[in-house]
Amino acid sequence: MKNILLIIFVALFSLQAGAAAAAEAYTPKVYGKKGYVWDEMTPERVQVLKMGGDVDRGKDSFRGCRGCHKADAAGVREGVYPRLTGQHASVLIKQITEIRAGIRSNPKMLPFVEDPAIAMEEIGDIAAYLSALTSVRENGKGAENMSARGKKLYNDNKCYTCHGKNGEGNAAKAYPVVAAQHYGYLIREMKLIKHGTRGNSNPGMVKAIAKFTEADYEAVADYLARLPDYRTVVVSK
Amino acid sequence: MKYKNNRIGSAVLACGTLVGMLLLSATARADDIPPLEERLQLCAGCHNPDGNSVIPGNPKLSGLDAKYIARQLSDFKEGKRVSEVMASIIPMVDEKEFKPLAAYFSKQKRTDGVPEKADLVAAGKQIFDEGVIGTAAPACAGCHNEDGSGSNKFPRLSGQDPTYVKAQMLNFKNAVRNNDPKAVMQAVAKRLNEQEIEAVAEYIVTLKEAE
Ligand code: HEC
Ligand code: HEC
Ligand code: HEC
Ligand code: HEC
Repeated sequence: MKNILLIIFVALFSLQAGAAAAAEAYTPKVYGKKGYVWDEMTPERVQVLKMGGDVDRGKDSFRGCRGCHKADAAGVREGVYPRLTGQHASVLIKQITEIRAGIRSNPKMLPFVEDPAIAMEEIGDIAAYLSALTSVRENGKGAENMSARGKKLYNDNKCYTCHGKNGEGNAAKAYPVVAAQHYGYLIREMKLIKHGTRGNSNPGMVKAIAKFTEADYEAVADYLARLPDYRTVVVSK
Repeated sequence: MKYKNNRIGSAVLACGTLVGMLLLSATARADDIPPLEERLQLCAGCHNPDGNSVIPGNPKLSGLDAKYIARQLSDFKEGKRVSEVMASIIPMVDEKEFKPLAAYFSKQKRTDGVPEKADLVAAGKQIFDEGVIGTAAPACAGCHNEDGSGSNKFPRLSGQDPTYVKAQMLNFKNAVRNNDPKAVMQAVAKRLNEQEIEAVAEYIVTLKEAE
């Protein structure tokens, strides 16, 4: 529900900008290259946010994604395919439109998410559907419990300023949920973001993660993987 | 019905039918569309009266989505989908016949099939249900359903002839079949090698419709 409200909110603000921007040809600006701005509102993203999303239509559109992300959208334990359940709609829309625009590199998935496999009209629907799902299948974790060290690293490096105390991210700012994700995926993404190869790195995060060693990645990933779904955490005032 | 179990069989039949039908259509006026029952006899020669072909290489049409069938027929006609055999048949069929033909075959019940190489079925099931992680080939079950029953977006595969499935997968892989409006099957097939394609085809023929 919150996500839907956010979508409507953002949509109202971007109505005018969107109409003008969509008319011009768009060239992707990738992290590390001239002109890159993190969280740039691409013409397609503006349009998608404007359209909102329908959960039932999203379920149908997601059929073409199940071959990798699985029927329950919980991905695979080894983390090759991430869990998409409960991710903020704003984040899903950002990632999908940036993959389609060639900003976030994801050649494995591209043929199945680009036009014509998925039409622009379906993106908001898919995001609405996935953000409302909960996972019941167990996620991948580290071989041993490293969450005490991981928690310290997470707090010392102020990861929570963006990803929240419970790994809940921030829907309004499009910071992803990182709690209860697969261990293998978390490690891979931290490295891809640090090295810029993902294409849509957040500069603040690149700084926060600059000194991470192999053991640090593992400890933080294990800590985050062992966190419960943020929606089940009761926040004490 | 007993035909020789090879592609020559169907090709010979195609030629025979072709000559016959060409003679017929030469005398018939352009707007002379035969009744459905009569037209079905043409298809029955290769696809069986109920669409459950028994000739290796010829697809079962039974239980396929009607819109999918109609689209394939018009793609054959426009040359967007290449098949020597169907290209020799389709000029005789008027576009107006596509919808009723499609409706007829979509309503027929798909029969069970038998694998040609039973020892490949287990390896095929793994690919069908889990995909191939190394090359990021998605699981077939994701789109076509675990039982191969398909939907209005993804065609039914259950019980389909393995020779046909293998040939189509290679056609997708080599971009010979490139009329898929979503363009996803080419991406899938490119991520499988010939052994994997053969195995998955042997598993597909064993899939049965849940009662
Ligand atoms: C061929 C396999 C494959 C298919 C099919 C596929 N994906 Fe993905 N997807 C991936 C992989 C691999 C990743 C992780 C890429 C990486 O490591 O950066 C991913 C990542 C994602 C992400 C980013 C998640 C995050 O936390 O940032 C989203 C969102 C996503 N996929 C949505 C979809 C949707 C929607 C579809 C269907 C239209 C789809 N995927 C189909 C393989 C696939
Ligand atoms: C300034 C804000 C910020 C800070 C600080 C930050 N991150 Fe991130 N992080 C992001 C954003 C934004 C993304 C998604 C990148 C994008 O697509 O925009 C992300 C992505 C991630 C991902 C991948 C999630 C996914 O689903 O793909 C992981 C894991 C992660 N961050 C971990 C961390 C850790 C660990 C720290 C602390 C060392 C940290 N982040 C600090 C903003 C931040
Ligand atoms: C001479 C034999 C022959 C005749 C007669 C014939 N077909 Fe076919 N048909 C084939 C073969 C062989 C294929 C496989 C084409 C390929 O390799 O792509 C095929 C493919 C098809 C397909 C595509 C099926 C799929 O799953 O994509 C449809 C639909 C079809 N035929 C409908 C018909 C109809 C309707 C008729 C009657 C008007 C007909 N065919 C008559 C041999 C025949
Ligand atoms: C992302 C969704 C998706 C996945 C995953 C997928 N398919 Fe398909 N498949 C399709 C679509 C869509 C079509 C219809 C193409 C058309 O309309 O021309 C199709 C058509 C086919 C056909 C042709 C059917 C016929 O009657 O001619 C075969 C054979 C096939 N798929 C086999 C497979 C196999 C084997 C796999 C797994 C290795 C697989 N598919 C995975 C979407 C998918």
